[in-house]
Amino acid sequence: MKYEEAMKRLEEIVSRIEENKMDIDQIGESLKEARELIKFCKDKLYKTDEEIKKILDAQD
Amino acid sequence: MEAITLLELNGRVRSALQFEMPDAYWVQAEISGISPSGQGHCYMELVQKDPTGRTFLAKAKANVWRNTWLHLKPYFEEQTGETLKVGMKVLLQVTVTFHEVYGYSLNVQDIDPTYTLGDMARRRREILQQLEKDGVIGLNRELDIPVLPHRIAVISSATAAGWGDFRDQLSNNVYGFRFYVKLFPALMQGDDVERSVIAAMDAVAMHRDDFDVLVIIRGGGAVSELSCFDSYALAFNIANFPLPVITGIGHERDDTVADVVAHTKVKTPTAAAEFLINTVFDTAQALETLTRRMSDAVTERMNSEKLRIEKLGQKLPSLFAVTKVRGEQVLENIWNRAVMGANNVITAHLHKLELLEKSVASADPAVILKRGYTMTMLNGHVVKDAAQLHKGDRLTTAFADGTVESEII
Repeated sequence: MKYEEAMKRLEEIVSRIEENKMDIDQIGESLKEARELIKFCKDKLYKTDEEIKKILDAQD
Repeated sequence: MEAITLLELNGRVRSALQFEMPDAYWVQAEISGISPSGQGHCYMELVQKDPTGRTFLAKAKANVWRNTWLHLKPYFEEQTGETLKVGMKVLLQVTVTFHEVYGYSLNVQDIDPTYTLGDMARRRREILQQLEKDGVIGLNRELDIPVLPHRIAVISSATAAGWGDFRDQLSNNVYGFRFYVKLFPALMQGDDVERSVIAAMDAVAMHRDDFDVLVIIRGGGAVSELSCFDSYALAFNIANFPLPVITGIGHERDDTVADVVAHTKVKTPTAAAEFLINTVFDTAQALETLTRRMSDAVTERMNSEKLRIEKLGQKLPSLFAVTKVRGEQVLENIWNRAVMGANNVITAHLHKLELLEKSVASADPAVILKRGYTMTMLNGHVVKDAAQLHKGDRLTTAFADGTVESEII
């Protein structure tokens, strides 16, 4: 998944909760998903992605 | 007929020139050759071309003697940011000289850098007009910088201070963002810049999916030599590049053509790094905002649910009273039905039992004997088959009221 896609999905979830379009059971599920998305984004921002390093090093 | 020597002739030419043209002249010309000498002088070839640029209309040698060159060179470079080089249009103040051996040449006294700057600006305008006409000028600016531009292709000279600055700035960012930087080395000075940078861009384009942006940077230096970035071919490549291009080629004056067509232009490599850090910072902020909105929305929703449940709780006793009456009725119905069902089952079983009793009763031997039948037994066993019996067997015959013994004869 790309960072942009994760943000878009997160925005979608937040908006749906804000607009009261979710019942309580769904909120529980969505909260879990949102937490995963936030972690994914934070990792992208602050943690070294070995995969990217490998790809760039392989270009030499 | 009186003949004169060549030296005399050349001497007269020199006198005539000195007499006729004693002043200094401001001359517009293009440099077609330039070579500084070991002694500190500078020798130039000046030309004037026809409008097509293919034919020479005039040509002259020009010398800048050491004392003049010593201050003229830094002055020009400071004013224009360029070194004097082939192809450059210049406005020179010259005196005309003639030497009996070396012939006609110009002695350069002064230079007007504004003329060269004006010519460079005119060239820039022409290139920009051409790019506009070709419909490519805004193409790169139309691309979106990704929200997380952290995979960065860099075109720079590997030894440039600016490249080091750029890398340090990114890796030491105070927020702790991660960046992945890959250098595609190119010459950033001299006549080969255009070719070399375009070749590096081609190399980046081959891996375009591995990168978010392309950054073209150049370290400072006294002489910036930016005119090589006023290149149609280079600008065309930047405009058409599949990734957003950020230029940080280090200058204060007017933008080069490369800057104009780039997605984003900043002044220095450090500023280019800052731009990327700020972009990622905005993205991190957006994530924070979303996270906060999420928790606010969930909290609000939970609170309103709680309120709803509380309201429901207040209504519950009266609701319960109604439910109780209704529930009791239901229960009674069920009980009645259960009792009825049980009765039916029991009756059916009783009936079956009665039938069974009757059939058992009719099979009793005593009942059958009473009807006039007898039962023959041999050694205490009922005899069902006549062939079983032999002469001399003693038989017992049972009647309803008693038994008799008899012998087969």
